Amino acid sequence: MIEVKSVEKKYARKKILKGVSFTANKGEITCLIGINGVGKTTILNAIMALTPINKGQILIDGEPLTKNSFEKITFIPDTITMLPHMKIAEAMEFMNDFYTCWNQERANELLGFFRLDPNERISSLSKGNTAKVNLLLGLALDVDYVLMDEPFSGIDMFSREDIANVFTSHLIENRGVIITTHEVGDIEHLIDKVVLLDDGIVRKEFSAEQARENEGKSVIDVMREVYQR
Amino acid sequence: MNVNFNNRDPVYLQIVRYFKEKIAVGGLKPGEEIPSRRELANRMKVNPNTAQRAYKEMEEQGLIYTEKNHPSRITSDKVTLGKVRDELLAEAVDMFVTSVRSINVPVEELLDLVKVKYTANGDKED
Repeated sequence: MIEVKSVEKKYARKKILKGVSFTANKGEITCLIGINGVGKTTILNAIMALTPINKGQILIDGEPLTKNSFEKITFIPDTITMLPHMKIAEAMEFMNDFYTCWNQERANELLGFFRLDPNERISSLSKGNTAKVNLLLGLALDVDYVLMDEPFSGIDMFSREDIANVFTSHLIENRGVIITTHEVGDIEHLIDKVVLLDDGIVRKEFSAEQARENEGKSVIDVMREVYQR
Repeated sequence: MNVNFNNRDPVYLQIVRYFKEKIAVGGLKPGEEIPSRRELANRMKVNPNTAQRAYKEMEEQGLIYTEKNHPSRITSDKVTLGKVRDELLAEAVDMFVTSVRSINVPVEELLDLVKVKYTANGDKED
């Protein structure tokens, strides 16, 4: 379980996170929803210790993050972090050198799944394929937790479907996933838990299926209620 | 297995309903093997946890059964299977009656109309 406890974060004088708390379970897909600028990416960065926090605590399976945690949790940012002149195959080699938990078998499977050519250069890929390579590099790690920043933004509908298919496959099964998004529409049925963020705080944390079962509300219905002011 | 889920009913119940409909029209035969939970999640594009829950619900209702290390199967129990059809039928009729009642039509006229429409459309239904 990833526990985010009363996390506060300031950039200069501007408070971005004003005491954010939520949990994300293993074996579940947790979706952080909020409009641009509410601090979704900052939360992911904070979980990965890529940015210092001013207050609060973040625990992964009950322990604070250490350098060994990076074999247990990975972050797929919204832009690719590999050098543009690298071929996909070289990027995979790079990951293999860097992480002991790199799983080449799974990487090959993902190549097939996304119909990618390992000899293509990263700089020559379309936006959709770049996103897929980015996802491949993260998902081929044998980690318990995967954080994804806006995996669906700015991507054509067929690539979105490909990516959404990953979520229903064994590639994700049993892992804990946190994804951020501002458009929930086509992934409503894929997510277990929803965390609604607004202005640096968590406005509501709920199970998508429970909202449907107990209140007959879709995720979007709940969002409308929470965000309407 | 293309299912159009609505966003307001629990997805697992919508899956159970899909199976019930298939059973009622004979698309799924008694004792027939059904996909694994993971496969179902993948085909229906739903969360694997939801597929798991749907199967658990169907097991509890006695619609499917799973023996150790074997794929799940549709039950062969005639009573349970018969109930599925009755249940779906009752539900559909209830819905129809509710919406028709507001129009306040005499039952004879309604039945004639149902007969005409039902036989006319019968061929097109799959």
